[in-house]
Amino acid sequence: MLFRFTGQLSFGQFAVRTLIAVAYAIIFAPVVMIVMTSFFAQEIVSFPPSGLSLKWYANALSKPEFLRGLVTSFQVALLATAIGVPLGTAAALAIVRGEFRGRQALSSFLLAPLAVPGVVAGSGLYMFYVLAEDLLDRDIKATTEGLVAAHTLLAIPWTVRLVVASLQGLDRAAEEAAANLGASPFTVFRRITLPMMRSGIVAAAMFSFIQSFENLDLSMLLVGPGRITLPVAMLNYLEFRIDPTLAAVATVQIALVGLLMVITDRFVKLSRVV
Amino acid sequence: MALLVVPACLLVLALLIGPMILMFRISLNQFSPTQLMVQALSPDNYIKAATDPYYQQIILATLGIALLCTLLTLILAFPAAYWLGRMESRWKSLVVIATLFPLLVGNVVRSAGWMALFARDGLVNTSLLKLGVISAPLEIMYTTKAVIIGIIAVVLPYMILTLSAVIESIPRDLEYAAANLGASGARVFWRVILPLSGPGVAAGSILVFVLCMNTYATAVLLGGPRFKMMAPAVYDQFVRGNNWPMGAALAFMLLAVTMAFTVFGSVAFARKYRTG
Amino acid sequence: MAQLTLEKLTKRFGTSIGVESLDLSVNEGELVALLGPSGCGKTTTLRMVAGFLPPTSGRVLFDREDVTQLPAYKRATGMVFQSYALFPHMSAADNVGFGLEMRGLNAAQRKTKIDEALKLVRLSHLADRLPRQLSGGQQQRVALARALVINPRIFLLDEPLSNLDAKLRAEVRLEIRALQQRLGLTTLMVTHDREEALTMADRLVVMDGGRVRQIGTPQQLYDSPVDAFVADFVGRCNILSGRRANEREFRTTGGLLLPTDVASSERDDADAFALRPERITVVAGETGEVRGRVQAITYMGAQTEYVVALGDETLVAVRPTPDAGEPLAALKPHDAVSLQWDRKVPRLVPQTSK
Repeated sequence: MLFRFTGQLSFGQFAVRTLIAVAYAIIFAPVVMIVMTSFFAQEIVSFPPSGLSLKWYANALSKPEFLRGLVTSFQVALLATAIGVPLGTAAALAIVRGEFRGRQALSSFLLAPLAVPGVVAGSGLYMFYVLAEDLLDRDIKATTEGLVAAHTLLAIPWTVRLVVASLQGLDRAAEEAAANLGASPFTVFRRITLPMMRSGIVAAAMFSFIQSFENLDLSMLLVGPGRITLPVAMLNYLEFRIDPTLAAVATVQIALVGLLMVITDRFVKLSRVV
Repeated sequence: MALLVVPACLLVLALLIGPMILMFRISLNQFSPTQLMVQALSPDNYIKAATDPYYQQIILATLGIALLCTLLTLILAFPAAYWLGRMESRWKSLVVIATLFPLLVGNVVRSAGWMALFARDGLVNTSLLKLGVISAPLEIMYTTKAVIIGIIAVVLPYMILTLSAVIESIPRDLEYAAANLGASGARVFWRVILPLSGPGVAAGSILVFVLCMNTYATAVLLGGPRFKMMAPAVYDQFVRGNNWPMGAALAFMLLAVTMAFTVFGSVAFARKYRTG
Repeated sequence: MAQLTLEKLTKRFGTSIGVESLDLSVNEGELVALLGPSGCGKTTTLRMVAGFLPPTSGRVLFDREDVTQLPAYKRATGMVFQSYALFPHMSAADNVGFGLEMRGLNAAQRKTKIDEALKLVRLSHLADRLPRQLSGGQQQRVALARALVINPRIFLLDEPLSNLDAKLRAEVRLEIRALQQRLGLTTLMVTHDREEALTMADRLVVMDGGRVRQIGTPQQLYDSPVDAFVADFVGRCNILSGRRANEREFRTTGGLLLPTDVASSERDDADAFALRPERITVVAGETGEVRGRVQAITYMGAQTEYVVALGDETLVAVRPTPDAGEPLAALKPHDAVSLQWDRKVPRLVPQTSK
């Protein structure tokens, strides 16, 4: 209604359409630009762009910091997801299906990591790790374990949020019907509840992985020589220059995220998750 | 059943709440260039952050940029959110995913994209030169302008998705009814859509404001080394200055502002929804 | 009040038809109901009249003024929405006053008119309530007052009663009709409820698949439907397919001969026999021309329904429930009965008039 009356475009409608176009241009411009930069021969893509080339990808492969960053990020994200999603799912189940007091408060508590700024949580963990290292006389900072522990803080709230949402949408009658047909509580869980939670869990795993993989703020202070995640490696590089080699690395990350979203979308309708 | 929440809670307790308490304690210590940290119980760091012009300027700049970005984002996001919220075609889920996608790509990558666009010989400058709009390349990189554009790009998807969810829940018939009673497009917007999107506007603005306050990568990469916002300043205290107490105090202030807004937001909505 | 005229009004959505070449005029003070199953184009028509949907072709006229290109907010139609569409953030009085405000009336002028309108619908005491604090029936009356207070040129009702419970519906039906007649409102109403249409409208338009099947008074449509679709849609109807056997009989595809009259049909392509259940008299025993066996008897209070098998066909008859002691009262399934009707009553019509 706001946009579509009969007749020609009024000034207001023109302005509204322009704003929509500008908004999406701003959202997509940097991503499109990075992908473009990685495929053109020019150092900096200017107007008009010229010379398609894949040499920057070869160049990126020759830079160990990016390759190592990619491996580290992948490892950390995978482990954090593998730990955080089961813990978060268990908690979500208890919060929705349990019959004890304070479930609402617990849910807020478990969502708290989302509300704490990454830089703040990262600084806290940094000091915590350094002091713990002195006490325990072993490395925590700049280890995979230290990073994974930190990143479970991303996986748990996302999992709680998404799995709670998927559980609340479930019809308990299906479980009651299963019990009525003679299924034990464990069988009910395995055969009915768990399959019904699947979409929530898949979405949670995807979000956890991506949030961990692209995380910068929380990880910045927790990395160290030899244990640098990809976003931190890219940031360090970018503080000196932007070039197509970096763009190639960034494009790899974009492609990875895109691929994950496409795969996940086959299991759950992403547009309904958010 | 209740036992199932224990592992997750312990993890959050150990890795978030514990470190936050530790951080607050450390923020009351004092810094010494030789011993690094001296045990104390004093609010000196907070007082310094509030009175020292260096920190004052950082805090004010952060608040100002966050406020401006929130406002601009709101204006920019509303039409897109309306468009998305009212979309009925099968492309809708695709648009939602497309809106979400850049969000998941990460801030570093997007900042890199802006760097490539804004560079002296980047696409923006060379296009404008070729078109004859400008005669000399614009200096966009390392300006507040660049940071603001970068931040808006980061937070826009959040605002669009939050607002469109609320707009979607406003029955379309209300708009038709208003038009039927003689309200033009603009008046339908001001009298019906905007008032009824109130909760979405508030929720989106609070979320976006908090995100803006905590901007790191965008500020560092597009603002350059001399551009200061809160999050980079916190980081600097730890990495460059090795000043834990001051870093902790600044981080704690950032946390306090963030939490205050988030809690205020959720309480305000809880009340709104209860009576509504 | 104005006269409403639709000329060859057409709406296509892509390749599918919404409304096809609709011609209709609603006279001043007349209430015309668009009746049809969902998807028949009745709501699309109403929305084109209101200006919410631009027609693909054709014209909408208020009196002699062509309003086809006029945006909705300049048309001055008063519409009552199916959902009522009350503004949830405004009180009942503010809802009613919204249209007046859009017309530039000041607060004092508005107040007088709002009071008047709320009094008309007997809601003066609830003026300050928000919509959610009102019952469904009260909300409906606010919607009514809001549409009427602007002195609309055309009054539009979109399934106005569908959200009310059955008892209230009958009451409000009479109330709206009385109001419409008293104020002389030129009204176009959309409904899928035939009872609503029959009791409220001066004339009915039966639509299907975007096309008009028949326009006429409730009586014309009920007694002389042009085809089996209209016959069935306007009220319960026995419809048997077959062909006319001779001037006085209809032969069903099952081979059954049913009494009719040559005057029952105006068309040669008639291939259906339509007869309303209440026009059939049931007589116990095998005495008449049309004989069959009772399949089921359903007691419905004041009336009783008899399903009678005639060979492979069945006919449904509805009669006033007999008193105890009458021969019909003793009727049981499998009993033999005869069916009778005035041979001028059945209509021989085509299955569809397309």
